[in-house]
Amino acid sequence: MTAYVLRRLLGLLPVLVAAVVLTFVANRFVPGDPITIMLGDQGGNAVLERKLRSEYGLDRPVTVQFVDYVAKLAHGDFGLSFRYPGVPVTQVIRNALWISPSIAAAALALAIPIGIALGVVAALRRNTLADTGIVLVLVAGLSIPNFALAAFLVWGFALKLGWVPVAGWTSWRHAILPVVLLAIPAAAYLARLARTFMLEVLQQDYVRTARAKGLSERLVVWRHALRNVLVPILTVCGVIFGGLITGTVVIETVFNIPGLGRIAIESIFARDYPVTMAIVMLFTFFYATINFAVDVLYGLVDPRIRLEARR
Amino acid sequence: MSAAAEVLVEPTGFADFRRRFVGTPSAVLGFAIVAFAVGVALLSPWIAPADFSRTNMAFIWEPPGNDFALGTDALGRDVLSRLMVGAAVSLTVALSVLAIALVVGTAAGMTAAWRGGWFDAFVMRTADITFAFPDLIVAILVAAMLGPGIPTVILSLALVSWPGIARLTRSLVLSLRNELFVDAAIVCGTKPATILLRHCLPNIVPALIVRASVGVGFVVMAEATLSFLGLGVQEPLPSWGGMIRDGLPALRSDPHLTLAAGTALGVTIIGFNLLGDGLRDLLDPRIRER
Repeated sequence: MTAYVLRRLLGLLPVLVAAVVLTFVANRFVPGDPITIMLGDQGGNAVLERKLRSEYGLDRPVTVQFVDYVAKLAHGDFGLSFRYPGVPVTQVIRNALWISPSIAAAALALAIPIGIALGVVAALRRNTLADTGIVLVLVAGLSIPNFALAAFLVWGFALKLGWVPVAGWTSWRHAILPVVLLAIPAAAYLARLARTFMLEVLQQDYVRTARAKGLSERLVVWRHALRNVLVPILTVCGVIFGGLITGTVVIETVFNIPGLGRIAIESIFARDYPVTMAIVMLFTFFYATINFAVDVLYGLVDPRIRLEARR
Repeated sequence: MSAAAEVLVEPTGFADFRRRFVGTPSAVLGFAIVAFAVGVALLSPWIAPADFSRTNMAFIWEPPGNDFALGTDALGRDVLSRLMVGAAVSLTVALSVLAIALVVGTAAGMTAAWRGGWFDAFVMRTADITFAFPDLIVAILVAAMLGPGIPTVILSLALVSWPGIARLTRSLVLSLRNELFVDAAIVCGTKPATILLRHCLPNIVPALIVRASVGVGFVVMAEATLSFLGLGVQEPLPSWGGMIRDGLPALRSDPHLTLAAGTALGVTIIGFNLLGDGLRDLLDPRIRER
């Protein structure tokens, strides 16, 4: 098991290296000179320009800048913001750091039970009206982009009915619509998989054996079938988390939530590249960590995976 | 054909496919939606009731009615006309993305499978690393470097789409390499490029079509998302994602813009997904056997 975990950890390395190199290259080779933009009206002030260039490390050779970038990253230092001259990136994003992951985690926690329940019910009632209905709802849930659905839900539940606030981020009620909206496509995706896996499992010999020895249908489903459905579902939670990260960027923009996603988009338009790249790094890091955790869990529950990886 | 012969002869090829396709209501519904969207997009220059970019400050935020079937936006532009042209913009972007991803993915996958060795390892590791980035993060990186716009959308979506196609192509070509007709071609002295393009490619095209048809819905949604965030299609060109964003601030008083664009976008993606799922179930031999 230790060897398996180490192997997985090693697999993370190229991804993180790619993220570091790409963000560095993107930072240095973006259109426009950041210092010139920062100086604005004071374009002729050579002393100020030299001071800013050395403060941002832009007066040194690119290779030195790269080594410096990596060394600072290792200490959790993302450099200085362009939009707020002299302010460290970490300070710009500090308050936002936990908003996106919390929304994503809440959505996942909501989506997993609902998705599995819907998928299992559809599979148990295969080819009935209930199954067809669920399958159609799932296609809709997967197809309608969450910002489009958000518009309908805000219009209906916030503006017409007044049950929830329209936008903002001051009370727990502000989190209801964002979390529900994020959970919908995730739950639909999980339900489709749960339905497919359940249909497959229900045809296995051990399910037939369980039925043949006279177990109640409830025991067959809960004890024998469902357990074997949960394992493959676990593996897709990493992929789903990637989708949720994308989702938080959109949802934070819709609901004006001051999370990492909205700051990332704002920074693109403000040409605050260090902040954008720091958030790209963080999101990549979150995603890689979740996938690593899923891999390790998968290896724990299914010994075959550990052996497969050894070859 | 006599009744007896009809019983004996199993329909094959296209006739068989059409019979089973018509027997799948969800696929037919998807096909109808997609056909409607494509028709509107193709005919938009002629059937749009007004110029999609003409502003008219005398008629801003007009509600849907006789003069403007779906109302007007903040600049007095006709929403229906913008929806129609938006369909053309959206589908053109999606087609470009798929074309690039298919050409690059197929070429990379075939070459990797044929050459093996370091080139194979290089292509597959690159694909792995691309998969390790969430899609929107790739788009944000590209947008930071190129700035928002249609090229950013096409490049970033092609970047995240090619690895899947390359993996599929590689695995298909690897299994084809053991076929007798490939050995025969090698013995005849056929050049590798010719073997891949003339002998292997026709055999993997059906699988690629299925793969692409399942992907269209994703690409349309991703384009709309980027345009919604302001990273994609820019004014004055209309895009459904951009129209939803433009309508959000006026959702309380004039919801027609956002709700119309949201409906068009949602229904179109549902159509593509129903059609893609249907084609996959009908054409994928692994699923057929079950």
